[in-house]
Parts: sequence; structure tokens; C-alpha cells
Amino acid sequence: MSWNRVAVVGAGLIKFGELFEQGFEQMAAGAFEAALASVDKGMPRSAIDFAVVATQRSSLWGQESVSGNTIPSVLGLNGIACTRVENACPTGSDAFRIGAMAVASGVYDCVLVIGAEKMRDKSSDEGLLARAASGHPVYQRGESAPALFAPFATRHMHEFGTTREMLASVAVKNHHNGALDPYAHFQKEVTTADVLSGPPVCHPLHLLDCCPQTDGAAAMLLVSAERAREFTDKPVYVAGFAMASDHPWMHEKSSYVGFKATTVAAERAYRMAGLAPADIDMAEVHDCFTITEILDIEDLGFVDKGKGGIASIEGETAIGGRIPINTSGGLLAKGHPIGATGVAQLTECWWQLRGEAEDRQVDIRHGNALQHNVGGRGSGVAVVNVLTTNSG
Amino acid sequence: MRQAVAIGAVGAAAPSLRLAAADVAAAWGTRGKGQVAVCAPDEDVLTLSWLAIVRALANAGLSVDQVDGLWWGTTRPPFAEGPSLAMLGTALRLCGDVGGALLSGSSHAGMEALVAAWTAVAAGSARTAVVVAADALVPGLGTSAESRIGAGAVAFVLTAAPGPAVLVSMTQRSRPVLDRYRGDGEDSTRDVYDARLFREDVFLPMLTDVATATGEADRWSLPDPDGRLGAALARRLGADASASASAYAETGDAGAAAPLLGLRAALRAPGRAAVVGYGGGRATGIAVEVGDVVAGCADDLGAGTAVGYAEALRARGVLVASGEPVPMGVPPAGGMFVRGGVEMLALQGGRCVECGTLNVPPSVHPACIGCGGGKFEVCDLARTGTIHTFSVNHSMPAPFVAPLPLVIVDLDDGARVQFQGLSEDVPSLAVDDRVELVLRRYAVERGAPVYGYKVRRIT
Repeated sequence: MSWNRVAVVGAGLIKFGELFEQGFEQMAAGAFEAALASVDKGMPRSAIDFAVVATQRSSLWGQESVSGNTIPSVLGLNGIACTRVENACPTGSDAFRIGAMAVASGVYDCVLVIGAEKMRDKSSDEGLLARAASGHPVYQRGESAPALFAPFATRHMHEFGTTREMLASVAVKNHHNGALDPYAHFQKEVTTADVLSGPPVCHPLHLLDCCPQTDGAAAMLLVSAERAREFTDKPVYVAGFAMASDHPWMHEKSSYVGFKATTVAAERAYRMAGLAPADIDMAEVHDCFTITEILDIEDLGFVDKGKGGIASIEGETAIGGRIPINTSGGLLAKGHPIGATGVAQLTECWWQLRGEAEDRQVDIRHGNALQHNVGGRGSGVAVVNVLTTNSG
Repeated sequence: MRQAVAIGAVGAAAPSLRLAAADVAAAWGTRGKGQVAVCAPDEDVLTLSWLAIVRALANAGLSVDQVDGLWWGTTRPPFAEGPSLAMLGTALRLCGDVGGALLSGSSHAGMEALVAAWTAVAAGSARTAVVVAADALVPGLGTSAESRIGAGAVAFVLTAAPGPAVLVSMTQRSRPVLDRYRGDGEDSTRDVYDARLFREDVFLPMLTDVATATGEADRWSLPDPDGRLGAALARRLGADASASASAYAETGDAGAAAPLLGLRAALRAPGRAAVVGYGGGRATGIAVEVGDVVAGCADDLGAGTAVGYAEALRARGVLVASGEPVPMGVPPAGGMFVRGGVEMLALQGGRCVECGTLNVPPSVHPACIGCGGGKFEVCDLARTGTIHTFSVNHSMPAPFVAPLPLVIVDLDDGARVQFQGLSEDVPSLAVDDRVELVLRRYAVERGAPVYGYKVRRIT
């Protein structure tokens, strides 16, 4: 029996990319308008009484003090309640979780969950790569984002014989999907040879094993399940959600072949939704790097531990495969504007469940889709959200 | 001096890189022969000194808690003003009340340190003293010194006699003349003004006088600042200076360490050894009676990695990329270093008294990652271990230099810690490799060196 107290009645995003011509505000407004326009029976702006804003790296555009009041004004919603959420790479998915709880609590009727991130206003050197110099001056020095995941690839290769070709198959598949997604940053296929021959970024990860730096925004509109049909005849419900944490230092992992935070969050979310991995029709999972998706599909229970690389290279996770993963192109092809990422993944799940994913549409047999992010220091934060079309 | 003083053991260290004098000469259209040792970007006089002392103590069979004085001689300590000696002592895990001094200001500083430590042991104010001399001078671009100035460190453990070698006599002279020097605010060391003036009117007469007063010896360590003066002095004295000649051939002119690296080589056989050190207008001669071969005097310093002139200049900090380097997130004078400086330098963990888990670093772990317990014993971590997993980062902004290994190590005491590795190990790094930890310079931030341990493969 799923939780199902909250429904998603609108969702939308802007085309992701290097959006030098748009500021944080324009991106957020674009996503908001897209979400509003997606509400089948329409929704007046005045219906919205709370916004949860997901943005993680405002330091990347020199606005370290972004807060809750930054968004309502630019969306024409001045005066409503608004809270900013920052929780590493799961920022957007955590904002969704919090938005669902806000609706379920009965305090708010209609909640806007909106994620936006300016990743490209500063140069890479001064922006995301400068992370190498942050944190502990010795034990974390040099730890740019790929270095948080590459050691897992090294160990997974050591323990399970996972190969660079298996990693590459994730990039090839997600870029194939991205080529079908009009919202993706990159809409171009890549080959295994392209991935293998790319320049090394953080051994054993090469350029196409890594997601790009992408600007973007996405938004969703949440109401109580009882009110869903006021807005749509095709409601999608929040079946369950969960979050888990793990020790933040890279050297504090109990295992380097999986993320404990993901495993724990998944167990909790499945329990809340009353579902098992076999009940999921498709999933949008955190593929910041190719190895991450391989670990995710193991940690989420779609394949056995150690089999993620083989499952990927054998096509089990492709559109039309046993469990389609990242039909949107994932972070690898669609992009990873951190605060927007989780909300955009949930939007893809929403489209898939409503049969609106066009060329990317998968068979929806059970009516359930799963969304997942993992990140933060030591990948110590994970969020899993499950959506369903089943009303009971 | 009341108490006879012995050299118990010796340890030495050379930096990682070697630069052929011919490479320097090619850049300037001159001729050059031989090689010099050059510090990698993460090495300096402090890391070299640390390694030499660790080796000397191991050769002496002593633990650090038996040391009650540290005398450090170096022309250029890592801070022009700052906590150089305190940092070295902490990295060695010497207790806070250890005596000693930092002597600097010229390449005579190593001899000054040896004399000071000798005096302290002789006077009974220290029982076990460590003397370390180190230098990694930066020669002026295009000077003759550029193909001569190298780097290295050497440490002696001094105790009350008896011991394998006993210090027997000392002679000192001073003259207020300029040889190689560096003015206040200058980055690199100036060459001698006139080579013949220096040779004929300063070097040969002054050092002949000191050596003669020091007495007869079977093996000599003689200064050789230009590759010829050492042999000229040896001829004039009728001395066997092959010990120092081999040391200079290996590392180049290691400044304050040079005379004592030569003395180390001269301790390889019983008989009378003598050393003459010179710099900054000061000269000291010391004679040593060697009874038994001194432990560590023949240790191999390693062949190092050959680099070209441009890479050597980059490593010395002379060739610097334009643009702003990314600043470190934590200011080195800030609260984090006050709370966490000792645990970082001395390599400490917090052992949970409930479950035994080692939490690293202790200052950020009020609760145990193993059991949530809140009581810890701070302890020194093991400096050897096994690679659990690793990555090699290729994409970082300046001041980082790629490839940079990041290695998650299971130390032999059970602690799991992430350290940087050494770029020279990149081609062969593998899970399950055995590694040791060496002190390196992680960063220079706001003028301050930041030290920590790095993983080195044990081959």
C-alpha cells in the first residue's frame, strides 16, 4: 500500500545547457511557467502558497547568500512562504521530499518545488574545480568532484572485474537517450571508442565518464491527493520517499563498491511505498559519473551487487530493456544543474508515468517510477522518491 | 668541554628530482657537467630534514621520546619568520618541551647546528641531541651557481661518549666578506662577485688555515662550491676529499647540508675523519675519531627522477603560471589550524575507548564513526599500510599539479585515511600495494607552507 497522500499535478523544465544569456531568475521563471502550463485543467498562480527552492552552489555565480526570499518575487508570487533547501547533489530531490511533507502536513494547499542552478557563470577553474582546494587542507585536498567517485570505480573493478568498457556502456546509453530528449544539454550519440579515448579526468574516469557543467531549472506543483482531480485527470501520486546520511569523509566508507546512504534510503522508500525493485517500471538515478549509475542500480536493488557493469553492457538498462534507467539522458547527457537535477529527474518520471515521454517512452506495466540522487562529501547524502499512477 | 660526545648514527635524504648541469648549460649557451638534486614541488628543507631525522633515529635504534634537543641548521628555513622549528618538532612527534635551536642565515648553518648540539651534550644540558642540516637554495637564473646548487639533508644523533665515532676538536674562523648571499627581500641567491678574487683571497687562505688547525685526518669533507675549489683545497692540503667529492656529485652543493653529507661519507671506515664547512664568511673545522663504522653512513639516497630545466624551475617555484591560483579554503593562520595543526603534523587519530575504531582527524570527530561513542584516546598513527582504493586526479586548477593520486589507505594499526600520493608512483599504483607515509608540503598558502603526509609505494 503506497503512501499516496500527495499528487504531482504539474511539472516542467527549461532546456538545459550553457545558458550564458539567462540568469538564475530567468531560468527559474522559465521552469515555473512550463510547470504551470503543464497543469491539464490549469492552475491560478494565487493557488500556490509555499515554494521550496532547491539551489546548491550559489557560490558559482557569486551569490553565496541566496535564500528563501530570492524566488517568489521573480515568479510573480511575492508574499508567499518560501524556504531554500541545500543538500548537496540531492538538493532538488530533497526539496521535493520536503514539499511533499509540507502538503501532507495540511499546512499548505499547493506547493511549488523549484530547482535552479547557475553552473557556468564562473570559469570551471574558479568554479566547480576550485572545490579541489576546499575542505580539509590535507585529508581532502585535491578532492574535486570526480575524486569522490573514481575510487569506487577502482575498487569495483578490483572486486568484480568491472571494465572501462562497461563504464563506457553507461555513457553510450545515456547519450543515446539524451539524443531523444529535447531538454538535454547534449543531444548527440557517442561511441564506446569516444568514451575510451577521451582525456583522463580522474583515473579511471575519462571525459565522457563525467557529466558536464550545465545550467538549468525545473519545477513541479504538488497538491493533496484529494484535490488532484481539480487539476488533472491523470494525477501522479507520491508513493514514498526517503533520505539517508553516511559519514562525510572519503576514508570513512565501510565499502567502496556501493553507497550505504543509497541502500538505506532505498530500503526506507520501498517500505513506505509498499513496493519492491521489481515493481518499478523505470528509474532516473544519479549518474554524475558512469560508475555512479552502475553502483546505483545495484544499491537500488535492480541488479545484484557486482553485476551493474555487466547489466549495463548487456542492455538491461536501455529503453526497452528489463529496467530502463535514465531515459532522459541522465546527468551525463541531459546535464547536472545541481538544484534542478532532482526536480528534472522527477519530471521525466512524471512524463513517463503519464505516457508523455514521446520517443523515450517506456512500457509502464506497474505504474511506478523511481528517482534517486546521491552526493555530498563522501557521498554521504542520498534521497529516493517513488512516483505512482496507482491511486490506492 | 667536559663530556666527550659521540655520533651515534646518521641519516640522510635527497629530494626526488635530478637536474643535469648540461640541461642548465644548454639553456644559457654554456657548458656544464654533473647533476644537482632538486626538490619536487611538495618537498622543501622541512620535509627533507624530517626524512633525514626519521632515518637517523631508526639507524640509532632510538625512539623520538629519547630525544631531548633538536638543532636545525638551514640557510633558508621554510618561514623567513615563523614556526619552522616548532613544525619540524611536531612532525617528528617530539614532545613540546624539547630543547634546541634553529640556526640559519648562511650555508654555514649546518656546522653551527653541529657545534651547538655538541656543546649542549658536552655541557650535560642534553643527553640525546639530534642535529639536522638541510638546504634547497634557489640559485639566481643564469648564474654559475645554477648548475651547482642542489639540495639535501643529513641528520646526526649525538650522545655522550662512548659511541662509534667521537667528536675530538673544533676550529672556527670569521671574515666579514661577501661570498654567495641573498639580500633581504630577494628570492634567489646571488653568485660570487669575482670567482678568482674569492678563490685566491678568501676561500683558499681561510680554509687552509682552518683545516691546518683542525689537524691531520685520513678522510676529509671539504667545501666545493664551484666544482673545482674542493679539489684545489685538497691538493693544497694533501688531503683525501673523496668522501665529500662523492656527496657533491650525488646532490650538488646542498648548502648547509653539504659539509655534513661529506662527513657522513667520511665516517665509513675507522680512523680520523675531518670536516671543514664554510659560508657567510664563517668557517668551522671539526675532527672526528671513528672507531666503528657509523650506522647509516652508507645508506643509499636513491637515484631520483631526471627532469629537464623547465620542470626544475617550476619545481623550485621560479617558473610560475600567470593568473590567480585557487586559494585554500582554510586560512593557515585560522582557527582550524589551531585546533587541528598538531594532529595533522604528528599524524594522530582518536581511538574510541568503546569499540577501538580510529577516527581521523580527531578534532572533527566528537562521536565515533564506528559506534557513536564519545570517549577517545588520541594516538600516533602507523606510517605504513596497504592501498584499499585510489584515484588519480588530472583536472584541477593551479596551484595543483597533475597527475595527483588520492589514495585511501588501510594503515597497519587499522586506521583508514585518505592521503595524496606521489606523482612518480602514478604509473604503477594498484590496490593492495604496500605504502609508507612521508611528510610533504601540501600547499603554500598566503606565504605559509602547509605540511601533511603523502603515500609512497614501497618497492
